[in-house]
Amino acid sequence: MEELEEQLLREVLSFYRGKKNELIPILLEVQGNFSYLPEDAIQLIASFLNIAEGEIYSVASFYAQFRLLPLGRQCVTVCRGTACHIRGSHQILQEIEKAVGVKEGETSSDMEYTLETVACIGCCALAPCLRINNNVHGEMTLEKVRGLFNPESSSGLSLDGRG
Amino acid sequence: MMDKVSFTIDGLEVVVDNGTSVLEAALRNNIYIPHLCYHPDLEARGACRLCIVEIGGGELVTSCRMPVESGMVVKTKSPKIEKIIRPVVELLIADHHASCASCPSSSHCELQKLMAHLRIDRRRVRRLRLPKVKAPLDTTNPCFDYDPNKCVLCGICLQTCESIHRVSALYYVGRGYTTRIAFYGDKSRCESCRECVTRCPVGALISRKT
Repeated sequence: MEELEEQLLREVLSFYRGKKNELIPILLEVQGNFSYLPEDAIQLIASFLNIAEGEIYSVASFYAQFRLLPLGRQCVTVCRGTACHIRGSHQILQEIEKAVGVKEGETSSDMEYTLETVACIGCCALAPCLRINNNVHGEMTLEKVRGLFNPESSSGLSLDGRG
Repeated sequence: MMDKVSFTIDGLEVVVDNGTSVLEAALRNNIYIPHLCYHPDLEARGACRLCIVEIGGGELVTSCRMPVESGMVVKTKSPKIEKIIRPVVELLIADHHASCASCPSSSHCELQKLMAHLRIDRRRVRRLRLPKVKAPLDTTNPCFDYDPNKCVLCGICLQTCESIHRVSALYYVGRGYTTRIAFYGDKSRCESCRECVTRCPVGALISRKT
């Protein structure tokens, strides 16, 4: 682990007392800082809370929210909720998989894209929708997807969330 | 001096030590109550819900965690119990992606015993949607293999590791349908005592021949 990262982690831990029930808040905060739970961080948290690394792994793998692999620079979340499903989120997902070259749940080898799905983003009126990092793009079409993921054929689509 | 308690189980009057659980009392008197997560060396957790019995006026309790009380009337077989545990066992078998013929645990397997006890028909189980993919064997441990296809997730191995061996090396990983038992990172915590392997009620943990 790099020195800077370890320093950041120690700073996070300094707000906790080392009780076992602080595990989930710690994991959430660490993931907030690193975008995932690095192996070194898990080791450090384990010794801080005096529990086994396996126990942390058990907790982290139980909750879908925790990730053990780093995210790409652009995290693409495709909504697979009912409204989006009816309006063709499956085709949207396939088109993104084709454009970006990664399957659902994977990260591209150049660490640019992570593609994942979620049960509902919460803006069903804009179905089908997707989210890139924290920007929501609604009323997606295959053309819009191509525009978003192939910069050379971009048709002036902005990433400011108004898609 | 241990106090003695007498109670009735399936119409049989039985006297046992005070503090004995209903399941233990039954097993000692050659009455089989289905169970998977219970092991005599470990604390009962009532996780598998298979050892359900009817007491008194038809209340259903997990017999492994129910201490015998004086004058208690226990029924181990009834349509009500059957209705609850049969689907549980059927689902376990449906997710148990293996044939008994080639299994090293065959003939001393708790699941086989359960199937025979409940007279479960494999054809009835096949109507359920069986898992498509066979999960690969986990060979990370130096002295035994873990077969997730046979595991019933009873937790006996985890409990053994924690309470008998005082080392926790094994943990549940994942959630729901994809839950497995696994090691994480610190493999060195496992001291290869194989206590978990000897206690596995099915053939999920298999000692590797050296």
